[in-house]
Amino acid sequence: MKRRSFLKGTLATGATAVAVNAGLLTPSTVLAEWNSKAFSAKTTDDALSGIYGSSSATASGDIKLKAPAIAENGAVTPVTVDATAVNGVESITILASKNPMPLVCEYTFAAAALGFVSTRIKMGQTMNVVAVVKADGKLLKAEQEVKVTIGGCGG
Amino acid sequence: MSIKIRMRGKSKDGVAEVKALIKHPMESGVRMNKKTGKPYPAKFIESVEVAVNGVKAVDAQWSGAVSANPYVAVKVKANSGDSVSISLADNTGEKGSSELKLK
Repeated sequence: MKRRSFLKGTLATGATAVAVNAGLLTPSTVLAEWNSKAFSAKTTDDALSGIYGSSSATASGDIKLKAPAIAENGAVTPVTVDATAVNGVESITILASKNPMPLVCEYTFAAAALGFVSTRIKMGQTMNVVAVVKADGKLLKAEQEVKVTIGGCGG
Repeated sequence: MSIKIRMRGKSKDGVAEVKALIKHPMESGVRMNKKTGKPYPAKFIESVEVAVNGVKAVDAQWSGAVSANPYVAVKVKANSGDSVSISLADNTGEKGSSELKLK
């Protein structure tokens, strides 16, 4: 009985080791490394440079940014970025311009995804929500002001 | 303990909108504890990945500025019967994942 469980154990660990060796289970392939430099940036420009290497984005009417004009509770501001009208969307980034760390989230899309993201973000005060879309190597953006009546950071 | 995720998804004309509600405090590390004068320790989801039939479709990085108990919706090219999965990890190494067969 002991011999049997021992064999089972060695077989199981052997299989995992093979998977790791083949690069199937390495953490980097499972989840990408977090961009701490961009996320700790204090301005939207620095944050964008941290992600895309450039902060100059041109305003585009093809990006639909949906956010409330007045957010009653800044801690849960629904934001939707619809860039399905833009061809070749590679990535969407959402920033809140006056947050202590403006970068909220960054989405990278592979072939099987459409340029669409909907989420809820925290906003400390009245400010602009900025959506930056990278498509065909170019940076496009859309901006909208959201008035916050109650702060989003526990205040 | 793993992070809890509730998923919904429906495919229409080859495009599926996948929605997920995640149970997580999303503590940014900036909010102050008024009694001690020190910030609450950061605990937020750092990375989110959406895959269709095991192939990565969306890869996201989040900060603590995503609302607590996050809601996220993305659109992927998938037909009914395809399986869509979400996997995530927070800054303390806690992980969660969920899978769904599209209707």
